[in-house]
Amino acid sequence: MIKRLSITAALASVLLMTGAARAEYPEKPIEMIVAFAPGGGTDVAARSIARYMEKYLGGNARIGVINKPGAGGEIGWTAVAQGKPDGYTIGFINAPAINALVVEGKTKFKMGDLQPIANLVYDPGVLVVPKSSSYGSLKDLIDAAKKASTPLVIGTSGASGSSEHIALLNFQRLADTKFTPAFFGGTAPVRQAVLGGHVPAATMNLSEALQIAREGNIKVIGVMSAERSAYLPDAPTFREAGYDVVVGASRGIAAPKGVPADVVAKLEKAIDQALKDPEYLDAAKKAEIPLQYLASNDFKAFLDRATTDLEATWKATPWK
Amino acid sequence: MIDALLHAIPLVFAPMNILAMFIGLIAGLVVGCLPGLTVVTGLAVLIPLTFGLDPLFALGMMAGMYNGGSYGGAIPAILMRVPGTPASVATVLDGYKMTQQGKAAYALQVALLSGVIGSVLSSISLILLSPPLVSFSLLFGPIEYFWLGILGLATVSSLLGDDLPKGLIACGIGLLIGAVGQDISNGTERFTFGQLDLLDGFSAIVLLTGLFAVPPVLQIVEEAVKTGMSGDKLKLHRQGSALSQWRFFTPVWIRSSIIGIIIGILPGAGGSMSSFLAYNEAKRVARNPETFGHGNPEGVAASECGNGADNAASLIPALALGIPGSGVAAVILGGLLVHGLRPGPQLFREHPDIVYGFMLQFLATSFMLALVGGLAATRIFGQVLRLPRIVLAPVILLFVTIGVYSVNNSLFDLWVLLGVGLIGYVLERLDYPSAPIVLGLLLGPMIESQLRLALTISGGNTSALVSTPIAVILALLSAAILLTPAWRLFRQRRTAAA
Repeated sequence: MIKRLSITAALASVLLMTGAARAEYPEKPIEMIVAFAPGGGTDVAARSIARYMEKYLGGNARIGVINKPGAGGEIGWTAVAQGKPDGYTIGFINAPAINALVVEGKTKFKMGDLQPIANLVYDPGVLVVPKSSSYGSLKDLIDAAKKASTPLVIGTSGASGSSEHIALLNFQRLADTKFTPAFFGGTAPVRQAVLGGHVPAATMNLSEALQIAREGNIKVIGVMSAERSAYLPDAPTFREAGYDVVVGASRGIAAPKGVPADVVAKLEKAIDQALKDPEYLDAAKKAEIPLQYLASNDFKAFLDRATTDLEATWKATPWK
Repeated sequence: MIDALLHAIPLVFAPMNILAMFIGLIAGLVVGCLPGLTVVTGLAVLIPLTFGLDPLFALGMMAGMYNGGSYGGAIPAILMRVPGTPASVATVLDGYKMTQQGKAAYALQVALLSGVIGSVLSSISLILLSPPLVSFSLLFGPIEYFWLGILGLATVSSLLGDDLPKGLIACGIGLLIGAVGQDISNGTERFTFGQLDLLDGFSAIVLLTGLFAVPPVLQIVEEAVKTGMSGDKLKLHRQGSALSQWRFFTPVWIRSSIIGIIIGILPGAGGSMSSFLAYNEAKRVARNPETFGHGNPEGVAASECGNGADNAASLIPALALGIPGSGVAAVILGGLLVHGLRPGPQLFREHPDIVYGFMLQFLATSFMLALVGGLAATRIFGQVLRLPRIVLAPVILLFVTIGVYSVNNSLFDLWVLLGVGLIGYVLERLDYPSAPIVLGLLLGPMIESQLRLALTISGGNTSALVSTPIAVILALLSAAILLTPAWRLFRQRRTAAA
């Protein structure tokens, strides 16, 4: 009897709370799930934007960052996709890594289980060579690769199936040659390998190559974006060399599917305002974070395109 | 480097960071002083609590805890014949005898001063020797890292435990645990049993905590000592000054410091090794070696100085190469990663103020230890031994549980903690050393991934593995270390036969 009473009470309070949430979101702390360990790039991005989102959500909005690392992000992303769609569970998703996992078909969620809210960061991939390298351009690299008896080795900071690996697969198809990817599993080791000249070439994200490229310790011979980056205007793009390779890592915020439209709108607006906050902008510029805001609909279109592209690649060259 | 040092000084001596070093030092003294608790345990509990704090605040606490803990271990070793940490085992030999002779306070003072001298010299070597090691480390590619891993593994299997097979089995257990998880080169899942939580393998910090923190707690419960030591045996007022006898101790300090620093730099050796080697050396050159083990203060000085000198030096390979030289260094590496500080040469390039700040914190906490230990800790911390140990067990377990849960916010990790803790306890009861397990699980994945990278880059050509001078040197060193015990055994047999 007491048990039943308490259940009724609990139900009543839940109903009351949802009612209140509808009226004045957010009424309680919002959990922002980060699928990577504290201190990593996504975690830092989440913790910094959370402070400014609180400011623009108004009232006493509070956002708690919860790290659920593991399985290349799958644990955290599953938690977002399977969360309660009440607006109090949101999380960072990283395309195209998340799309690749879904395309492989082993995840417990589909892209449709997520409600995209906004994209914040787009960090294009780059191909770099050691400073002493004889390859001055993509053309040199491809010529050398075609002449070589064994496929040229390219280090990547990711694992098998990472966006960089998939970019390499696309690049070798377009250039009609073959590379051997060497998986370093992290940015620091691959950076050290290029710096020390232990690999002939490597891929990483632009933001990770900026500092050492400016010091002249490595050469960026190709940027995988549609246009040259403002942070490194001297570096040519793959498109300029005639290869349509546009790949980058993005960081955006999503919620479980079924979140009320007004909550999505409110979060979307808060993110937009936070990204325009002068204090935040200043810090982001200093840290050279490649910001790229996409509103909910554009972000969804962006994610859909990434999924379609990857499905095509998966059919042609499954990466696992 | 001078630039980075000057840059770091105001950061290190900011009031908040001084407070951090002080807190760490006191916490280190406590964990070192309490038998069963080690610095590794203390750090493992501390690190998750430093999330979101300023890196230098967190690192200051770690430096303080490392230095405080190494002296703390000497207190119960001298007073109770119970080494507070594995590294203070050699301190027991003469320290407890001195207590029995009523010279407890003098013994504690010798231990403190010797430890401080060792750790000051060690910190200076960390500051001076790290930069050349860093430029050297760019020569390290996958081939060299592979051999370095082999060398680390070779060191530990031949140096640890009297029972070589048990040491090797422990190492094998570590290697096996390290193999769990997804292969990054082809996506194959190993021993994951379809568990999403195991896709990245076991979390090293969870394993370390389970292995080092849980078995001592279980042992405390098992022993169920309900009372502490009675107060009348604690005579902690002044009995002579070790400082005024510096001439007498200087030769011991210099020899022990050099031994401690060299052992510290070598990955896989560790604090207990340093203190034993330093003790042996002091005894070897002494004019009256028969007095060792009967309350010779030089024995205490050698052991504690070697132990103190090991501390900062063991971080040189950890910081410069990303190779944990000891269990403590491994946990500190974990703590650095939590703050986004990836060890290796790029750490010195990307965060020089933090790296040099951390080194200065080591130096600063050494001096702080002299002050805190000399003025109060020796007298006050002695009292901790009066605590009923049965009260300690649940408190330690509670802290560990909270700490581990907060690493990944994962209940799965708590089950891992419990399971590994129980296994660790059983292994300890069966006299399997736990350090080789740690080295195996940390170095195994490194050896494997670097070997595969090296072979990928060389196009499958195995002769590439000995294609650079460093690789050849490391390979020969590994072989020499592996063969040393066999050589010793061979000689022993020959002497016995003759």
